[in-house]
Parts: sequence; structure tokens; C-alpha cells
Amino acid sequence: MGIKAYLMVKTKKTDGEDNRAIALKDLETMPEVEAAVPVLGEYDVIITVDTPAKAGLIAEKIESKGWLKNLRVLKVEPVQPNPFLDEVCSLPGGECVRWCMQCGMCSASCPNVNQMDYSPRKLIARIRAGRRYDVLSSNTMWICASCYLCTARCPKDVKITELMHSLERLSAQHGLLNKVVSTPAMYKAFVDSIKKNGRVHEIGIMMQFYLKTNPFAALQMLPVAMQLMIHRRVGIKPTKIKGLKQIKAILERAQALGGT
Amino acid sequence: MKQFSYYTYFPGCSSTEGTAAGYGQSIKEVGSPLGLALIELEDWNCCGSTPYGSTHELESLCIAARNLALAEKAKITVLDEKDTPVEKADLDLVTPCSCCYTTLNRANSIMRQYPDLKDKVNECLDAAGLNYKGRVKVRHLFEVVYTDIGLDFIKSKIVNPLNGLKVAAYYGCQLTRTEPAFDNPRNPQTLDQLITSLGGEPVPFPLKDRCCGSSLIIPEPDIALGLVQNILESAASNGAQCIVTLCPLCQTNLDAYQAMVNRKFKTDYHLPVLFFTQLIGLAIIPKSLPVYIPKYPLVPEYLGLHTNIVSPNPVLNHLFMTRFYAAQRS
Repeated sequence: MGIKAYLMVKTKKTDGEDNRAIALKDLETMPEVEAAVPVLGEYDVIITVDTPAKAGLIAEKIESKGWLKNLRVLKVEPVQPNPFLDEVCSLPGGECVRWCMQCGMCSASCPNVNQMDYSPRKLIARIRAGRRYDVLSSNTMWICASCYLCTARCPKDVKITELMHSLERLSAQHGLLNKVVSTPAMYKAFVDSIKKNGRVHEIGIMMQFYLKTNPFAALQMLPVAMQLMIHRRVGIKPTKIKGLKQIKAILERAQALGGT
Repeated sequence: MKQFSYYTYFPGCSSTEGTAAGYGQSIKEVGSPLGLALIELEDWNCCGSTPYGSTHELESLCIAARNLALAEKAKITVLDEKDTPVEKADLDLVTPCSCCYTTLNRANSIMRQYPDLKDKVNECLDAAGLNYKGRVKVRHLFEVVYTDIGLDFIKSKIVNPLNGLKVAAYYGCQLTRTEPAFDNPRNPQTLDQLITSLGGEPVPFPLKDRCCGSSLIIPEPDIALGLVQNILESAASNGAQCIVTLCPLCQTNLDAYQAMVNRKFKTDYHLPVLFFTQLIGLAIIPKSLPVYIPKYPLVPEYLGLHTNIVSPNPVLNHLFMTRFYAAQRS
């Protein structure tokens, strides 16, 4: 947890010349300065420094400059810790959450946005607000069909689809799975099939999924299954690969390494 | 005679004996006339697809990387023009499935981006005596046909032009949108060009790359069926006689669930959904086509056309009738 200091800088005019640009340039080159933002009004630039000790150092540095007229400390405040944001940012694809500019192109592109608890834009806003429960228990990422339209269109190159997959994993880890959608059960059936056979056995997945969730829903799908069967598009017996032992060994090692 | 181009072939689960068995069959039949030598990857496993990546990060990378490691190791011996054996290695990994393409490419790019993850993956692969250096290039079969084989070569092979068959080119989502993009992700054109060069007529199709719902069709059928209906409506209202696609999952959703959409939304779509390899096959494989009764499920067992649930007979009849009239005129 850090402490941030905000300093306000007023520049003076030398020989009628405006020194604001030079001041901004100087401030930006100082390594201790986190951000320098030009403002209008009584003062010209606001700078952010991350600890009070550094603030003293930087104040001395600035006071030695010729363009300085007035320097004032605006405020010193502790930075609110946001462990959830840090956690998301440490995942592959998650680091882009910081540079999202909330334009809403992802939500406008999403084919399933009207079924989601929060649109992708709102979800990112909630991650940045540190709302762990809201984000991880929502249905948003489970309704994402991974069509990548948001990722293709995002002007800031935020990897939204990748982020959704990371959130799906986080949500399972924290035991905050959404209770309404049944996508997690389908994913589990899919993964189990790979672990068992090395390849996906589609009918096996369907059976496991419907037995675990709602066996009556299977009746609704019966005509489709019949048609697939008639047209010889269903492998009744699963194909097992020869390297099943390899798969097992690889996965055991992965679990030992603590990979989720 | 064109030289054969050699590739390592990753068929994917559904194209072998699953829901897209017809895709696999048509690829086998179309491969050699196009000069494609697809050598199946020995003992491949499922790429993991979205579900594995959404539940376990490291495990999903390892599952995908096993295939990549096997492909990196694979070597084949072929005979050249003078019948001397030549060893070929470092072949591109070609898959006909958009999901496999995305997943394998994702594993590649994540391992490139995060070297420490790559080391971890290699540590896991080591348990099976494998190692992946990161050299394999993953490509989609359609991209290979479009760029390596080329439309000019396909044109020179045509024996039965499609004679103005109205086709809606459906790209699906993952092929054009994920890295490395080979077509314009906002308005892809390559499949339309293929249809034109086969003698067909691509219809305007605004939802050509809109999502079909993919695997959501199982857990959330109400959402996915709505998406399928949008796509079918867009194709039908623009006068398409059939839809052509290049992804097994898109084909299953649009084809097998079409009757369900008709029931749910009280519509009457009857759009055969063909794979692009089936369409190429219809144009380049010499075969006499008899007349078929529309909507009756009696189709020839070539190019995997018998696996299409919405009967492709109207398409075959169009080809037969236009050829019949052309013969009479001449």
C-alpha cells in the first residue's frame, strides 16, 4: 500500500515568455514524477509522486528551476489497495484492463450482450472498482461465445475474449460460479472427455452434461440427436488415443506445478 | 502437373468421426486433385478448445502444446520427380477447424509472449519426453487453399462450373478475427472470391461473420438459436440457395439445428449448409449428377454430402438443370 502526494506548480513568465511548456517537459523527465498534468487556473501543472519522502526530494529539485514561481502541496493520501484489480492484471490478457478507455465498442459489438448481467464495458469498470463478487458471480463471461468481435474491434487492443476466459477460471477458483447458467457444467464435461479419451467424444459430453444438469432438457434435443445419428455424424464409441499415458503424465506434472 | 505441397494435417475431433464427418471425407476427396498432401499428425489429441482454456490455464496450454511438439518432431519421406527419397521436416500444421486454429495459435502466441509460461509448459511436456521450441506455424485449411493453391489453379481444374448458384459465404467468427489475420477482419472477402471463381454467385450477406453461438448451443440453446436464426434470415432474405462455411461447429449449428429454429421461430428456412471443400468438390470432381427429389434425404455418398441434414438436393438439381439446358442450347 503506497502513499501518494499531489503537488501543484505555478510557473512564472520570464521576459514575457511563457514557461509552461518547458516546465512540463522538465517535470516529465524527472524519474520520481509519476504523472504531470497541465491544468488551467491559478496553478499550471499538477504532479503525482508516490511517497512523501520522494515528494520532499522533488520539491527541492523543482525549487532549483528558474521557471518556478510557486509550489504547493495539494494533498497527501494513502492509495486504496485493489487486490482484485492486481489479481486480474496478473493473468494473461488481464493486464489490458488498466488501459481500457470505456468507449463501449465491445458492448456494442457483442452478439449476446442483451443476455448478460453486465456488458463487457461495465464488467471492466467493475473490475477496476474492485468489485470481486459482482464480477465473478455474474453470467457475463459464461455467455460469451468467444467470437472475438470485441477483440477485433477494440481501439485500445484490450484482449476482451482472453479476459473473459481468465475471469471464468478465477470465478471457479473462488467458488463464485453463477448459478443460473449451465455453461460450467458443459465445460467440465468437455474437459473430462479429453482427460478420459485424449479426444472429444461429442455424445459422451452431451450425456454427461444433461445428466448433471437437467435430463428433461435432453428430450428437447432428441430430434437433433436422431437426425445426427441418421446422417452418420455421431461416433457411438469414443476413440482413445495411444498417448493417453503421456497426457496423464503431462497433466499430473501441470497440477504439481500449481498451474490452474 | 502441379507438384504436391506437403503439410502436417490436424483434423480435429469433429472432422474425424464426429459431427463434421462429411468435412473430413470431402477434404480427403478434394485433397489430391488440388495437389494437397495432408499427412495426418501421428496420435494427435484434442486441442482443448475454449472449454479447457476457460477452466485450466497451464493444463490447456500443455494439451495444445503436445500437438505442437509432435508436429515439430514429425518428419516424412517422399519421392521427388526422379524417385529419390527426400526427407521433409518443419511442415506447417494445417487444420480445417476454426476452433483448433484459434486454440493452437493462441497457445503459440501466449508461449511467445510469456517465456516463463513456455518454460513451465516444457517442464510438463518433459514428463512425456516431449519438448516444444516454438517453430510450428499453424494454418487454416482455407487459408492454405486460398494462398498456397490459389484461385487460378482451382479455376483451371473446374469441370462442372456452379452456373450462377447463389451462395451465402459464411466465415464464422474465429478464422478472420484472431491473429494472424489473413483476411480483413471487418469485411472478409476471400470466400466470396472462391465462390466467384467456381462459377457461383456470392449474395450480399451482412451477417457473414456474425457468431453462430458455437458451443453455447448445448448449455444455453435459447440464446444460440436466436443467433442462428439471425444468420439464416440474413442469408435467406438475400436470396441464397445455400450457405458455405469453413468451420465444423458453424456447419453443425446452422444445419442440424435449422429444423429446431424453424419450429421455435415459426419460420420455413431450407438452406443447405455446405463446407467449402464440398463446394470445390462439386465443381472440380467429374461426376454425372442425376436429378434428386428436393427435401428428400437421398443424396450420393461422395464428398460427405450424405451427412448434410438439410438435404443438399436443391443445389445438386440446380447444377444438373443448368448443365442440361446448356447442353441443349449447344
